[in-house]
Amino acid sequence: MHLELSDKEALIGLLDQLRDSLMNGSTDENLKRLFPTAYHQDPKHDEEYQRLMRDDLLASRLQSLGTATSVLSRESVDDTTVLTAQELDEFARSINNLRLVIGTVLDIDESDIDVDLDEDDPNDQRLVLYGYLGWLLDWAVTAQLDEYS
Amino acid sequence: MNNSEVGPTTVKEPDVDSAVDTDRPWIVLVWNDPINLMSYVTLVLQKLFGYSLEKATALMLDVHHKGRAVVSNGTRERAELDVYRLHEHGLWATMQREDA
Repeated sequence: MHLELSDKEALIGLLDQLRDSLMNGSTDENLKRLFPTAYHQDPKHDEEYQRLMRDDLLASRLQSLGTATSVLSRESVDDTTVLTAQELDEFARSINNLRLVIGTVLDIDESDIDVDLDEDDPNDQRLVLYGYLGWLLDWAVTAQLDEYS
Repeated sequence: MNNSEVGPTTVKEPDVDSAVDTDRPWIVLVWNDPINLMSYVTLVLQKLFGYSLEKATALMLDVHHKGRAVVSNGTRERAELDVYRLHEHGLWATMQREDA
C-alpha cells in the first residue's frame, strides 16, 4: 500500500472518530447502515436477532478498525506498507464502514456520481472524502482479486 | 434386550436431495444500495460463498439492476450466519422463508 503520511493521519483520525462513536453506544442515525435489519419481514425475529448478534457485530467492527489503524500507524519505507491478507480484508471493511457512514450523512443516491463540487460547501468536502475512500476501497478490492480468481 | 432372533431387513436410504431441500426453507437476499461499490460487492460474494467471478458478478448485477438477489439458501441457522457475515462486510442483507 502506498499512502502519504498526511493521508494516513487523516484516515486514522476518521477511524478514531468512528471507533469512539461505536464504543459510546451511539444511536446516531448515521450509523444505522452498520447494523442493518436481518429479518425485514419479521420485526419480532429481527429484535431477537439484534439482541443476539449486535454485540458480535460491534466487536467485529472494532477489531477491524483497530487493525486498520495499526496498519496505517506502521512505519513504512518509501510510503510503502506491506499488509497480510487478513489485514487487507479488515482494512477494506473499515474503509467501507467509513463510506457507509459518510454516504448516509450525505444521503448518497445513484445520481450523486457526477456532480459539480463547491469547495466551500462542507457537504461537497465530505463528497470529496467519500470519493477518496471509494478510490482507496477499490484499490483494496483489486489487491485481493488474485486470491479469489 | 435380545436381538438374536431379529433377521436382516431392508432399510430405505433417505433421499439426500429431498432431505436437503426440506431443510433449506430460508433464503438470504442482498439488496441494492447506492453506497457499496460494485467491485466490492462482487469480491465479498466470492470471498464468503466461494462463487466464481462470473457467478458473483451476475449476482452483483442482479442486485444493481433488479434491486436484490438471492445469494444463498439453507437452514435458518445457516442463513443467519450468512446474513451476519454479509453485515460484517457492510452489505445490506436480509433473510426470509423461501416461499415468503
